[in-house]
Amino acid sequence: MILNIYGDSLCALVTASVLASIGHQVSLNMPEGPARTLLKQGSEPYPEPGLYSSLIQQQQDGRLGITDFQSHPPETDAVFLAFDSRDYALAEQVVQHYASQQAAVVLINQSTFSIGSSGKLADMLGHNQHLVYLPDFMQEGAAIQTFSRPNKIILGCASHQAELLVREIFRPLNRLKDQFMVMSLREAEFTKLAVSGMLATRVSYMNDLANVADALGVDIERVRMGMGSDPRIGEAYLYPGCGFGGQSFSREVMSLASTVSGIGAKSHLLEEVLAINELQKEALFRKLWRYYDCNLKGRVIAIWGASFKPNTNRIDNAPILKLLDAFLAQGAIIKLHDPKALPNIEKLYGQHPQLVLCADQYDAVSGVDALLLVTEWKQYWSPNYRRLLKLMQTPLILDGRNIYDPNYIKSLGFDYMGMGRA
Amino acid sequence: MMNSYVNTHANPQIAAVQQVLSQLAVQFKEVHIARLFEQDAQRFEHCRLDLQAILFDYSKQRLDGAVIEQLVQLAQASGLQHWMTQLFSGAQVNHTEQRAAMHWALRLPPAGTDSLDICPDIVQQVHTQIERMGQLVGQLHRGQLRGCTGEQITDVVNIGVGGSDLGPLMVSHALSDYRIATPQHLQVHFASSMDGSQLSVLLKNLRPETTLFIISSKSFTTIDTLYNAETARAWLQQKLGSSDVVSRCHFIGVSTSPEKMTAWGIVPEHQLGMWDWVGGRFSLWSAIGLPIALSIGIEGFKSLLAGAHMMDQHFRHAAWHENLPVLMGLIGVWNNNFLGIQTQAVLPYDGRLKYLSAYLQQLEMESNGKSVDRNGQAVSQDTCPIIWGDVGPNAQHAFYQLLHQGTQAITCDFIAPALRYHLNAQQQQSSAALQAQHQLALANCLAQSRLLALGEHALDTADTQLPEYKRYHGNQPNSTMLLKELNPYNLGALLAAYEHKVFVQSVIWQVNPFDQWGVEMGKEIAKQLLPALQKHSSQDAFDASTNGLLHYILQ
Repeated sequence: MILNIYGDSLCALVTASVLASIGHQVSLNMPEGPARTLLKQGSEPYPEPGLYSSLIQQQQDGRLGITDFQSHPPETDAVFLAFDSRDYALAEQVVQHYASQQAAVVLINQSTFSIGSSGKLADMLGHNQHLVYLPDFMQEGAAIQTFSRPNKIILGCASHQAELLVREIFRPLNRLKDQFMVMSLREAEFTKLAVSGMLATRVSYMNDLANVADALGVDIERVRMGMGSDPRIGEAYLYPGCGFGGQSFSREVMSLASTVSGIGAKSHLLEEVLAINELQKEALFRKLWRYYDCNLKGRVIAIWGASFKPNTNRIDNAPILKLLDAFLAQGAIIKLHDPKALPNIEKLYGQHPQLVLCADQYDAVSGVDALLLVTEWKQYWSPNYRRLLKLMQTPLILDGRNIYDPNYIKSLGFDYMGMGRA
Repeated sequence: MMNSYVNTHANPQIAAVQQVLSQLAVQFKEVHIARLFEQDAQRFEHCRLDLQAILFDYSKQRLDGAVIEQLVQLAQASGLQHWMTQLFSGAQVNHTEQRAAMHWALRLPPAGTDSLDICPDIVQQVHTQIERMGQLVGQLHRGQLRGCTGEQITDVVNIGVGGSDLGPLMVSHALSDYRIATPQHLQVHFASSMDGSQLSVLLKNLRPETTLFIISSKSFTTIDTLYNAETARAWLQQKLGSSDVVSRCHFIGVSTSPEKMTAWGIVPEHQLGMWDWVGGRFSLWSAIGLPIALSIGIEGFKSLLAGAHMMDQHFRHAAWHENLPVLMGLIGVWNNNFLGIQTQAVLPYDGRLKYLSAYLQQLEMESNGKSVDRNGQAVSQDTCPIIWGDVGPNAQHAFYQLLHQGTQAITCDFIAPALRYHLNAQQQQSSAALQAQHQLALANCLAQSRLLALGEHALDTADTQLPEYKRYHGNQPNSTMLLKELNPYNLGALLAAYEHKVFVQSVIWQVNPFDQWGVEMGKEIAKQLLPALQKHSSQDAFDASTNGLLHYILQ
């Protein structure tokens, strides 16, 4: 089929590359912006494993064309809208364009806008035109995988004809069993937001428990495994840590909270979840503040990891932002390492006299009063402990993701504090 | 009642003017305010002062141009010019304590010394403190001032009494529309009373981890404040442990004495200074105003200072018959000393000015509630009247009955903003309804000042057939102060006008407005009674009444 995909989000690029790889003829129409610029320069727009090479491959094979936002290739079977949540206006532009063409078309909205937005877009269309909502459940860092082998495809759709078309587009990805769940536009929107809210709630619940565990002197990791072994609960999203972030994750949660409050009702639980998470982002600061007797002036602190999770360079809503603000305000000096996110940090903070960006993770720890593990990049999991001991002024590790074995590293002579374990 | 014409200390010039004024007073006691309006169609134009920020209408006072002329003469003869020069040159106008009274210096702009004869050093010191205040305010607003557990401070409790409470409380409340919203919803609270009444309620609802206390005391010896501070510290330590980090992270001090603050446990970074030359009731412009700056931001606070500075300049330079503080002061003297009206009500028609009358009570009554003149002689005329009041619309349901039909002569200051609810573009739906409420309040303000002054004459068709108990005789003189709007700048100007009014009156009455010896002895006697209450000393060492009361308490 001939598909027009609009947007420059990770979702747009993954959708384009995967759908081209199963034989569709895809045109990816990208607005100007950092992702478009990077692609033009020949570099990868998102550090998503497998994405860039696949985009190159599909272009070489002739099934994928990347073009400007305004180019609207004429013949098309379906149109995808895969925008960032803040780009609602762009989605409107595209819908307006197709509405003015009056030709029969199916528009598939993948963007996470506030509840009711898909309905608003659909209302702009003519009688032989349809808009469906296909929420984006990709997980950053495993986006291609989660998109190509979905365990569910939620489809908000009011037209049988449109449903038939969407099923045809995704047929190759839907062979093992029928993953489609069809519901109304608004139900699909609410499902998307409810899923994010549930995941966030689980994590915030664990963080809340971890803080109690700290006070009780129990190891939250054992509690976590005990909980996860109960099939009613399951193991996913029970990892306590120093707060979740990320553009889509926390913003979606926020838009659920604000959407629901916008129409008079609000979710008290989700507001609390967000509040707990904001507090949790400062958890490592609080631990170090107490360790150093409420005075961090002049302390040198190494931080490993800045991106909101491994395998991305994004720092939107990431705990590192709150940590840096807190430490810098107290007059501490931060030596920060991250394999991918340092340019984004530099964009935000510029040349800050208290902030040293380190290209090497061991450079970051020399002479420091503590090492904070904030993002669990693979390269941090098994560091050269002997080298750390030699380099650090005070061998203190604050493990924001509970990736180290407290008993082992304490036996080496480190002081250790995790999230809900010591 | 002491009358002006028996003034024994007056120089002949003063006596002569007083003589003329007394004669005018005899005449004016017979004239109804309604008559004055009939006689002069331009009376409003003749009896109002428009300073843009503030419009002062004194046309409903029982006076005319001739009276004002004589009052200005009285000010001249009393040496107002000399005393103004003394005040603004930093001379020791507070002679009983050998101190200057330079609250006006707290509002000087940073650049230059404004051609005033004071040490540029002082301006520098003042602005250093404002800057330090700004830093603390910024830290607190950004959520970067931390409690000892590392949590953000979300609640600040100002512990102080008198000038360290009334000014900051009144202004914070008055400027609530300008409150800065912070992500952590920072709230400012006030605790003053020595019995812990306010503090005990606050402590029930606050979390120690996120609460910061400001200990605000000029001398840092005020017993009310130090007891409240100890209670606060005990509450923190009970939850957070008794380590010194509790004092370090949860207290800010404002005082003239860094030594005493340090001894109490407040770290130098959390100490804000002030000076001997700032009187407690004139101190909201100093670091004592920290709660104000926390509430409206340091820029808002600077705007408050700028408004007060504007008034300082106006007071120093405007001709006296069009000088707001001078007119306010002289009209007060006219009512008090010549028309024999001994009380003055302060009636703001704006709920945000709820604490204004309590604030002015301290400002006026603590300043001019004196009966000894600057030469140590008993004064020969009445000094400060009783100042009282409440939010006008509420007081209408309380004491206005007495204003309208009682036997006391009372003069009133009506205060209201002309504009309100005009900035809240986001809350348009409710703002139309709220604007209607503001109009209602203004209508009542104008109606009451009119009725008090004119009585039944305020009605188009005066019904003389009314039974006596329904009649309104009016002739209660009053002034109306309209602020363009109640914002930091205009409020600063208004408060400075009252400060200088008090000063003008002190010059006429020849008293020192900057000391307060009358509040000292009671504290001393309380020190003797405390051991008796603690059963450390005899309960029978006092007068029979006190002994009896002690026995009842301790039985």
